[in-house]
Amino acid sequence: MSFKRLIAPIASLVGGALLVIIAFLGIYAWPAVKFNGLGFVTKDNWNLGSLYGNPIMRHGQLILPGAAYGILFLIVGTLLSTLIAVLLAVPLGVGSAIFLADGVPPALRTWLSFFVEMLAAVPSVVFGLWGYAAVIPLLNHTMFPWMAKHLAFIPFFAGATGSGYGLLTSGFVLTLMIVPLITATMRDALVNQPRGLREAALALGATRFETMWSVILPSTRRVLIASGILATGRALGETMAVLMVGGGALNYLPQNIYAPITTMAAFIVSQLDSAMEDPTGMAVRSLAEVALVLCVISVIVNGAARLLLYFSGYERMGGGGWA
Amino acid sequence: MIFGRNSVEKKHNRSYRKGVVLVLALAVAGAATAFAASQINLLETGSSLLYPLFNLWVPAFTKAHPNIRIVTNSTGSGTGISQSVAGIAQIGASDAYLSDAMTRMHPTMLSIPLAISSQMVNYNIPGLNNKHLKLNGPVLAGIYMGKITMWNDPQIAKINPGVKLPDHKIIPIHRTDGSGDTFIFSQYLSFSTPAWNNSVSFGTSISWPPVQGGLGAVGNPGMVTALTGSKYSIAYIGVSFERAIMKDGMGIAMLGNRAGNFVMLTPHTVSSAAAQMVPKTPKDERVSLIYAPGADSYPIINYEYAIVSKQQPSAQTAAALRTLFTWAISGNGGNAPHYMEAVHFAPLPPSVVRLSEAQINQIQ
Amino acid sequence: MGVSAAEVRAKINEPSVFRSVQRRLFNYAGWGLCALTFLMLGGAMVWILEMVFVRGAGAINWSVLSTVTLGVGGGLLNAIEGTLVLALGGLILSVPPGIAAGIYLSEYEGGWLAPLLRFMSDVLVGVPSIVVGYFGYVTMVVGLGWQFSTAAGSIALAIISVPYITRTSEVAFRGVPRTLREAGFGLGCTPGTVIMRICMPMAMPSILTGVLLALAISVGETAPLIYTAGWSTYMWTGHLTQEPIGYLTYAIWSFITQPFATAHQLAYAAALLVTLFVLIISVIARIVTYRRSGWGQHA
Repeated sequence: MSFKRLIAPIASLVGGALLVIIAFLGIYAWPAVKFNGLGFVTKDNWNLGSLYGNPIMRHGQLILPGAAYGILFLIVGTLLSTLIAVLLAVPLGVGSAIFLADGVPPALRTWLSFFVEMLAAVPSVVFGLWGYAAVIPLLNHTMFPWMAKHLAFIPFFAGATGSGYGLLTSGFVLTLMIVPLITATMRDALVNQPRGLREAALALGATRFETMWSVILPSTRRVLIASGILATGRALGETMAVLMVGGGALNYLPQNIYAPITTMAAFIVSQLDSAMEDPTGMAVRSLAEVALVLCVISVIVNGAARLLLYFSGYERMGGGGWA
Repeated sequence: MIFGRNSVEKKHNRSYRKGVVLVLALAVAGAATAFAASQINLLETGSSLLYPLFNLWVPAFTKAHPNIRIVTNSTGSGTGISQSVAGIAQIGASDAYLSDAMTRMHPTMLSIPLAISSQMVNYNIPGLNNKHLKLNGPVLAGIYMGKITMWNDPQIAKINPGVKLPDHKIIPIHRTDGSGDTFIFSQYLSFSTPAWNNSVSFGTSISWPPVQGGLGAVGNPGMVTALTGSKYSIAYIGVSFERAIMKDGMGIAMLGNRAGNFVMLTPHTVSSAAAQMVPKTPKDERVSLIYAPGADSYPIINYEYAIVSKQQPSAQTAAALRTLFTWAISGNGGNAPHYMEAVHFAPLPPSVVRLSEAQINQIQ
Repeated sequence: MGVSAAEVRAKINEPSVFRSVQRRLFNYAGWGLCALTFLMLGGAMVWILEMVFVRGAGAINWSVLSTVTLGVGGGLLNAIEGTLVLALGGLILSVPPGIAAGIYLSEYEGGWLAPLLRFMSDVLVGVPSIVVGYFGYVTMVVGLGWQFSTAAGSIALAIISVPYITRTSEVAFRGVPRTLREAGFGLGCTPGTVIMRICMPMAMPSILTGVLLALAISVGETAPLIYTAGWSTYMWTGHLTQEPIGYLTYAIWSFITQPFATAHQLAYAAALLVTLFVLIISVIARIVTYRRSGWGQHA
């Protein structure tokens, strides 16, 4: 038996794990997919039904009376918190990458980069703890009231600031979790651009920042887009931190940027056991459908980023592989 | 590409094979199940209301029975029910009994009362926390349905004459995990307010009407933290967290009972309610004690249940469970005054102890 | 950039003092803003570390490290042990397939399997960890009747960490110079011998970096363990199934919302231990990388 044949099955376990998970979700969620139809992603109505009522038949499925499953509010919460995080993380990531690539001496660069990229190593639950114990009190008492008063002219910035748990808080915490991905990748890309590009620009009399901003940065635009998408993928699937600072909104869409939200990933953690109480099993299967939707979105996002990177010829990704 | 299809490959090579076999063997050895021991592991999970009591019970009980190990978990009654039914946890702690449908589907599951608990309605209104605001079912239902949104709403003002209510938005906090506290609170609203009963009804997880700014919290601890952290919020919290509520200086509401009186949560009002409802306890002990009649009755009291299967995998586990529960409901054991007072529970009345004992003896 | 040479020439030839001041300002403002973004990130990192270390240091003492959890008080010995057991269990399961896949991706690039495997491995990175936890709960914990257990928790961690090991192993094997392999073949070695005896030792430091990375990820994970490993206040007795096991991240997540001071102390102590552990691993991994690529040369 050749060595190739010997290691192929072991290597295939990696792909096998993915296939098993996707297949499991698909098969397990199928009755829920059929039962919920399109309303699953268009309605704000997650209702386990009367847990103490008697199950009834509807559309050939045994369900609890009043049960309905619509997760629009989860999709909106997930996408909005991710959007805020990416909008904040891209300028932060690019700015710090430029600074690290050309604003500090190379010897210092190593250590400063390392320090900032350590943010990616901090476990999600520690981010949650920090958000919960340190950030929320500050936002709730100082920053949100100030923003609601002075930034009220921006849409969705006015109105009740609530309790500190919510969309913007989740966005802030997610931002810090995904910024290192962008910083690390962009810094690598900026440093690795052909030396000639930089020398040519400087020789033409451009200042160092102009060289960076107008010549080198545009040449890395594909890497920037790809790292942004990868960061998006991470923000979408983030669970613990959002669970701890999101506020656990149920069945309504946020009216302003301070309002509580829930994301799909956090919802799975907080609802799995309630769902298991449903004697008909439809709630658990609908939760599997949530996982399936989340998985599909993540897979598409990550796949897109990998393809883009592949075409930009930039293979090494993800700030040393943290995710 | 270094090793293409054309590259030379010899048929045998022992050294790398040996390495791979070794790695595989290690993995298999790692995956093989280890030994069994005479130690009995019991996993208790569920009600965060019962959790503080279990944490008092377990050290005392396991000291006397060193071969029994009990892990306690505060996960919410919904978890207690689902994990005990699934056979993951031996003891599902729950403030709610099993539903009829669940009992039919899982006929081996018992709901055994261990103590009588009650629930507070708490609020965080600066300046009013030392007064006991009066609230009743219809007003609370209005708040949680988003119909009463301000603290100075006329409906709240009407039942609180002379109290200067703030002109501030109410932040209602509810449980997001499956919770017996949600169960008894929503029963109180259902039994007292037809509009609630017709639209939301009751359960361990209910479809909360959307209220802008409303918060979700996990477990009673999460409720306490959310309440203390959010001014002008309101929450329903199990009585075993009274000490935490008092320490943080939160308000405790007087609740409207069936007779129309507003009563504080005291041992007297709890026992008045219990005296009215306990005689109605059926043999399988699945009964609601909510919204009792009687002038002094506190409206939200309930049995704290252990959800247990009467068919245990081994005789030792069954015996351990019987020993534990028999001790727990005994007045000299787990229902002793110092345990009950620590968490503000009421002991089971003798008639219920007998019913519970009959159920405990079914565990085999 | 879509600018014609004539336009550039016109711009350059335009004599203007104002323009040069403007450019200099743009230069300084640009650097200033970039430095600011860096300071914000650094500041956040300092803030997080400050919280974890200051509050953690106040909460930690010898008894926290040497006794087990009692309800919401006591120590964290059970959780420390559990975290290590789960993480090592995850590594035992993820290292062989991860390295095998890395070898395959690097050495057998032709054919259909390698690109497919690489794609699936990359997609697996993107699968949210809670989805893995959900999968483990329904299939292993409930379906197979393993209950909350070390086995279920370790498998969940292995699924999460295996794509990282795959990727770093692939990069490591790719880094081995082609000439070494050719020398091996020239001596009549089989592909297996070349890979295991010649490439493997060369690639080992990088592979170790990947393994360390996987270890750090495993130690810091919460979501996939809540529904697979459960939680236990006792020391592990060696059962792979039917026995729940504790871990540090659970203590952080669960105890910080308990309204008891002892619970908060445990949460902060656990946060300190987890963060310290993860940071130390990262530093070691970084040092291993630099040893190979040369200090300060790293780009």
